Amino acid sequence: MRWLGSLHAEWTKLRTLPSTWWLLAATVALTVAMGAAAVSSLTTRVCPTPAACHEDTVKLALTGVQLSQAICLVLGALSMGAEYATGTIRTTLTAMPGRWRVLASKAAALSLLTAVAGALAVLSTLAVARLILPTPMDGATLRAAAGSVLILVLVTLLGLSLATLLRDTGGAITLGLGLLYVVPVLSHLFNSPTWQHRLQRWAPMPAGLSIQATTNLGRLAIGPWPGLGVLAAYAVGLLGVGGVWFRLRDA
Amino acid sequence: MTTAPTRTVPPYRSALHPAHAGFGRLLRAEWTKFWTVRAWLLVLAVAAVVTMVICQLGANGSSVSGGPPVVVGPGGEVVNDSFRFTHRALTGDGTISTRVTGLTDRSGKGLGPWTKAGIVVKSSLKPGSPYAAVMATPGHGVRMQWNFTHDKAGPSSDLAKAPQWLRLKRLGEKLTGYTSVDGQNWTQLGEVRVGGLGRTVQVGLFVAAPVREVVHRSFGGTSSLAGSGQATGTFDHLTLQGKSTDGGWAGTDVGAPDPNGPNGQPGTTTVSPSATYTLTGQGDIAPDETSPDIVQMSFQGVFMGLLFMAALGTLFVTSEYKRGLIRTTFTATPSRLKVLAAKATVIAAITFTTGLLATAIGFTLAQKTLRSNGFRPPEFPDLSLLENPALRAVVGSAVLLSLVAVLALAVGVVLRSSAGTIATVVVLVILPQILSFALPLPVAQWFLRATPAAAFAIQQGLTYYPQVQHNCLPEAGCYPLTPYHGLTVLVAYTAAALLLAAWTVRRRDA
Repeated sequence: MRWLGSLHAEWTKLRTLPSTWWLLAATVALTVAMGAAAVSSLTTRVCPTPAACHEDTVKLALTGVQLSQAICLVLGALSMGAEYATGTIRTTLTAMPGRWRVLASKAAALSLLTAVAGALAVLSTLAVARLILPTPMDGATLRAAAGSVLILVLVTLLGLSLATLLRDTGGAITLGLGLLYVVPVLSHLFNSPTWQHRLQRWAPMPAGLSIQATTNLGRLAIGPWPGLGVLAAYAVGLLGVGGVWFRLRDA
Repeated sequence: MTTAPTRTVPPYRSALHPAHAGFGRLLRAEWTKFWTVRAWLLVLAVAAVVTMVICQLGANGSSVSGGPPVVVGPGGEVVNDSFRFTHRALTGDGTISTRVTGLTDRSGKGLGPWTKAGIVVKSSLKPGSPYAAVMATPGHGVRMQWNFTHDKAGPSSDLAKAPQWLRLKRLGEKLTGYTSVDGQNWTQLGEVRVGGLGRTVQVGLFVAAPVREVVHRSFGGTSSLAGSGQATGTFDHLTLQGKSTDGGWAGTDVGAPDPNGPNGQPGTTTVSPSATYTLTGQGDIAPDETSPDIVQMSFQGVFMGLLFMAALGTLFVTSEYKRGLIRTTFTATPSRLKVLAAKATVIAAITFTTGLLATAIGFTLAQKTLRSNGFRPPEFPDLSLLENPALRAVVGSAVLLSLVAVLALAVGVVLRSSAGTIATVVVLVILPQILSFALPLPVAQWFLRATPAAAFAIQQGLTYYPQVQHNCLPEAGCYPLTPYHGLTVLVAYTAAALLLAAWTVRRRDA
């Protein structure tokens, strides 16, 4: 009952912020729009015939996740950072002294919300993509779709844990975007195949995105599920570290 | 009855009209706001250190092992200089003329647009020596080219439809190229001075067929199919006026590829009784654009540095909104545009100075590491920090960092939230890069033209010449725009954001 109460409190806090709904709407809209644009970009110049085309159409359709994960990061970071910015965190902790419980309820409420929005985004993206291109509907596609939703959820949790660690929205978003985006850019531009391979395997974004691949699995630096596992390890691991700090420090 | 006269005391007014408080004072106020926040100074220092460290790490991870010896052109650049040459020595001045009657593919992979057949005056048979040439090409009409990096377009006539007359006149170091459709009326293509030719030069016919590369790219990776180009050119009406050796025409494969290698097919020259010369050859006479760019490789840290600059630019304005300081600021200086201008100036100056320091030191350290990792002259010439392209890349990267900070400031004024602003700016600048690695090539190149990510072109040290067929791959560090055009794209985005900020800051309540 106590757990239900704290979950309800966090849900109310999230629900009553207008920014939450804006961000979730943007997640869905941008995922669909970018996926549609990416699929439309596949011209006969790139793919003369279906047989000669090596493009992974499912992955192409889900390109938008690379953009909308930034919004999910913002959502996760705001949910904790805004409490510190406004001082609500002290009220929260007075009402619910169990800090692990606060963090867990926050994570649960966020995950639930992002999972629903993510599922909506991914399913509508695939539906739109099917209107433009004949994309396959098989187990691999299902894995890519479910994995994309999980990516969004995990990135939201990453934002939450960074904001818990830093107690500042701006810092958390900067660090999170650096981890997500800058590391893969560097991995591509390093002129050393060993380092490229290492970063492709162990950086959260490239590893997580390997779940979206449906063809040429042998060419991936890391398998689909282990890749998602790397992203999950970052999110959950940092959430654990954030929780310990949250437990030890004064608010 | 008298009433005491009431004296009205005028309220206190500062002798200094607020709107007239000089811009200098405003700058000082904003500078004070910046340096008194200790966390921002810390972020600035971290940005500089991280930039330098990652530049160094990027250089550390790159190495090159000795490949085949490279050919260096008269300008010091790495060049390709191999072709089939039917030549004889010319001492002093002279004129060579011929008619190119055909150019056909021999490799079975299609004729490249820059396959060349024509006449050349070259100081010696040594690859990389100075030359001037006039030639017919299948895709780019008649050209005059000299010393590898120079190219001048002539009439865009098609060799497949009609034969082309070419003439090259030597007068000391002055070389004049002519072209004609009938051998009677000649039009001048160009007149150039080629230094270091010497008194005796080699003149004659040549055929060069660059390697044709077709790139397929998809999410699975990039694959390129390279076909060794080989082409046959036919010439007749060959005449040479001037003092020449009596030995007649000799055939040589200049810069011949290894005959045992994968591309090693020796060229041939045959002469028919009716004086038709048929040359078969491969290779190219052009700058080499395939070597790694050691300038660009020294700037990996800028990607990380700009993240901090974006955060600083954002916080410089959004924290005023968060704490309500903005109301005090606007009360003190009611002219909001002046405040915006002062803020932009201060943040631009701070981030530029820090960025310049970081990129200059980072570049110098990275160059040292690259040298010890095998990137040595002559293939990778020594670069001076005070000369282009190093100077352009170092200063350009600092400008890029400060433009990102100003862009963040302007977006921050519009959005008034640090979370939204940082995310927007970073997504605008960095995400196109990531997507360009994965999306189909035409879309990827469009991304690197139309988004602020185009500005990273300023870090390029290689010059991409239009007379070389080149597949511009984002993962190889190639940007479709030239360095300055690329930076201009970011300038345009920043200017647009500032205009939007100026418009909203005047219209809205603080």
